[in-house]
Order: sequence, then C-alpha cells, then structure tokens
Amino acid sequence: MISDIIAIIRDYWLLLLIGQYPNGPLGGLAATLLLSVLAIAFAFPVSIALALARLSKAPLLNWPVTALVYFTRGVPLLMLILWGYFLVPLVTGASVPSFLTMLVTLVVYQGAFLSEVVRGGIVALGHGQMEAARALGHSYLGAMRYVILPQALYNVIPSIISVFVATIKDTTLGYVINVPDLTFAASQINNQLLTQPFQVFFILAAVYYVICWSLSRVAVLTERRITRRRAGTAPQPTAKSLKLAALTDQPS
Amino acid sequence: MNTTVPSNNSPMIQLKGVRKSYGIYEVLKGIDADVARGEVVVICGPSGSGKSTLIRTVNRLEEIGSGSIICDGNNIHRPMPAKELNRLRSRIGFVFQSFNLFPHLSAIDNIAMSPIRVKGVPRDVAYAKATQLLERVGLADKAHAYPAQLSGGQQQRVAIARALAMEPPVMLFDEPTSALDPEMVGEVLAVMKGLAADGMTMMCVTHEMGFARDVADRVWFIDQGQIVESAPPEQFFSRPQTTRAQRFLSDLRH
Ligand SMILES: Nc1ncnc2c1ncn2[C@@H]1O[C@H](COP(=O)(O)OP(=O)(O)O)[C@@H](O)[C@H]1O
Ligand SMILES: [Mg+2]
Repeated sequence: MISDIIAIIRDYWLLLLIGQYPNGPLGGLAATLLLSVLAIAFAFPVSIALALARLSKAPLLNWPVTALVYFTRGVPLLMLILWGYFLVPLVTGASVPSFLTMLVTLVVYQGAFLSEVVRGGIVALGHGQMEAARALGHSYLGAMRYVILPQALYNVIPSIISVFVATIKDTTLGYVINVPDLTFAASQINNQLLTQPFQVFFILAAVYYVICWSLSRVAVLTERRITRRRAGTAPQPTAKSLKLAALTDQPS
Repeated sequence: MNTTVPSNNSPMIQLKGVRKSYGIYEVLKGIDADVARGEVVVICGPSGSGKSTLIRTVNRLEEIGSGSIICDGNNIHRPMPAKELNRLRSRIGFVFQSFNLFPHLSAIDNIAMSPIRVKGVPRDVAYAKATQLLERVGLADKAHAYPAQLSGGQQQRVAIARALAMEPPVMLFDEPTSALDPEMVGEVLAVMKGLAADGMTMMCVTHEMGFARDVADRVWFIDQGQIVESAPPEQFFSRPQTTRAQRFLSDLRH
C-alpha cells in the first residue's frame, strides 16, 4: 500500500507537479497553485470593492452588487463553472481557455462570498471610528483605507482564511471543464493504472491537505503576531520601523 | 484670563436659526449664537436636550434642517464638493466622549497619521509635531503604546493631541470626561485648561461645573433644543434666570 504510493509518486511525480508541460499546458500542482494564488489575489480586492459597493447609499452601486451576491450565494459553484464554460463561447464566439474560465468564475464566486465577510467586519466596527476619521478630515475612502479596513479585515482574518481555503479546494472543480490541474493529473494517472484509485486519490488528498493546512497555520500565526503587537507584549520595534509600519499597515 | 487678541473681529462660530429634526421630532429649535475668537463656551443642559446634536452640526457630522453655521468664515452647511467639506472638517478639532482612538495604531501614529494622509505633511515633520503634542498632553513616554494599553484619561489626552495635530483654530468637545473614572477627569480637564489659556476657541459640552467656572467665558444652558440661557459662569451659577436652569443646577448639585 505505502509502497504503491511511493511507486506512483516515483513514476508520475513530474506529471503531478507540472502536468504535460512543456509538451502541453502547464498543469498538475503548479497549475493548482497558480490558479489558487491568482483566484485569491483577485478575489480579495474584488471582495473589498463589492463590500464597499454594498455599503454604498448609491442605488446604482448597491443594487447590482447586492443582486450578484444573492445570486452567487444561491447557486452552486459547479453551475457557474458550466455556464461560463458553455455560455461564454456561445455568446462571444471566442474560445476561452478553461483555465481562464475557471479563474474568472472563482474570482466572482469567492469574491462575492468574501465581500459578505468583509462587509460584516466593517459593520461590526460601529460608527465611532468612521466619525473620528471624518472629523479629522479624511475622505470616506481615505477613512476606509487607513482606519476602517485595517481593523475590519484584521477582525475577520479567520473567516477570510476559510474562504481562501475553500477557494483552493474549489479549484478541483475545474476538473469538469478539463482545467489541467492537480486533480486532472491524478485522474489521468488513475485512468492509466486503473487498479489503484485509493492510492492515487490518497496522494491527491494529502497534497491538498498540506496546502490548506499550511495556509491556516500562516493565518493563525499572523493573527497572533498582530494581537501581541497591539497588546504590547511583542518586542518593541524600533521607532523607525514602527513609523513605517504604521504607514504601511494597510491591506495590500 | 481668556482674553486673547482676535485676528479679526468676526466671531469664530456663528449659528443662525439652526433647526434640526429627526423625523417629526425637532431636536434643535432655532439656535442663534456666536462664539468669539479665543472664547471658551461651555454647553450644559439636561440629557437629551440636543447638546451633542448641536455640537456635531458645527463640523457637519450631523446635517441641519434649516439655518446656517459659519465657522472661521466658512459656511459649513452650504452645498459643496466632498473634498471641500473634508478640508473644512480638518480645520475643526473634535473630541468624542468615547475617545474613538484608532486601536490599530500606537499613540504617536494616531496623532501623526491624519496630518500625513489628509494634509500631506512630510512624515518627519508630522512625527516631530506628534512628539511635541504628546509632551504637551503629558504622555511623551506613551508614544508607542497602543490605545488598549492606555487608561481612559490617557486615551482622551491622546485624542485631544490627535485633534490638535491638524492645527485647527477651533476645538469642539462632546462630554470629554463623562466616560472617565473620576480620578482621571482632572488630567483631561488640565489639558483643556492649558488649551484655553493658549487662546484656543473652544465649545465644550460638559457638566464639569468647576471647569466651567474656571475656564469658560460663557455658559450656554440648553433645554429642549433651545439655548435658554447664555451668561458668564459666575452669573449663570449664582443667578440663573430661568426655573429650568435653576432646577438643572440644583439637580446637578445633588
Ligand atoms: N440619530 C438619531 N435619531 C433619532 N433621534 C435622535 C438621534 N440622535 C439623537 N436623537 C434624539 O435627539 C435628542 C437629542 O439628543 P442629543 O443631542 O444626543 O442630546 P444630549 O447630547 O443633550 O444628551 C434626544 O432625544 C435623542 O433621543
Ligand atoms: Mg450628548
């Protein structure tokens, strides 16, 4: 059993790592990581923009985004992926790479989910902080950027990380539209071996577990570090680094 | 004692026929009053009489229904671009009952952040100024402490320093000591007294009658959305003109 797994890894490690590349598209773990990182990197700012739009009093901003959020929350991700896959080429006539279809769908879907987390964090802060910032002359967006978001995002780090982890897991759904990711590579191997599905998919599960677990760990450690710094029990940074930290202490 | 030479003779703040309603409930029923340059006005009155609402209309944290408010020559409630309102607000210091320090920033960063981000003051200048202000409020040793590590009195003093960092010609205080333990009230009032002595124009909602006696040029007594009395503190405390003010003062003493 263990020897089977080792044998599979030995024989197929390159396929698992980068797919058919360079003879085909980049695939395997590399594609999964690339897809995850890009999806998270885009979904995060998108979610902040969506949250701000939902908090806006302007109906033109508020309404469409509210509709989008309700829609994406009520529809399975798989449905969105299939729609994107079949409808976009039909409507536009262009053939879109499945990787791109998957990326955009993930960004919209997880962006909408994350926007609710972000919005919750902002609302939970109450009015006092925004009022204090506005009284000092900050613009609405300036207050958001320097006062509200650094606190709101920090307070919801655990939920943000859950969405990130969910995003990574959801990249596996790209399988149904032939995104050549790690899951795709594993099922290719399974099709060749035929007799060892448990071993093959055990490897797959283990890799996903390690990625998601590491991300959770990073989140917990980050959170603890910030908490310690604010409680003042962390080693005092030098005056200079503190000044810089204060001015760069914003969500990127 | 608070007689400073005004830079010009027009009042710092002019309230003209200021009215405001929440729904059908009228909170401010026509406020007409001036605050001269360098003057310290203490506003007192029963809870719910409209003191917070009034002071918050001066920097337009609250909109008004009708009337006008001129502060340092600017009509605060005229229609204007958001940018202009932000600029006007940055020139009116405001101190909240609940401090509202930014908990993610250390004391000195709380003070230096807005001059840098709002006024574009260079960092080294802003931090030098913030250090001075911390000294002025007696907290030079707390520069790198976070709000959670400070007592209420210390937080409020940082909040005052934060407002002063924008170099406003006028400061508004909405019950700055009401959320404090009694032993911390004095340290905050001392800072405010210092400000008054330096000639700052101040509007303070407070029930600290000792402060009013020592520092105020005038006391406004507000009841049910109207300024019922406006008098120098000696006169207001010893000879209140209306029964409402008499009742308020006797309630306060008990
Ligand atoms: N946002 C609001 N909506 C409705 N009513 C309000 C609001 N804010 C204040 N009020 C009412 O206006 C009155 C005056 O409030 P306020 O100015 O806070 O009084 P004070 O500061 O003198 O205690 C109170 O009756 C209060 O209930
Ligand atoms: Mg009040």
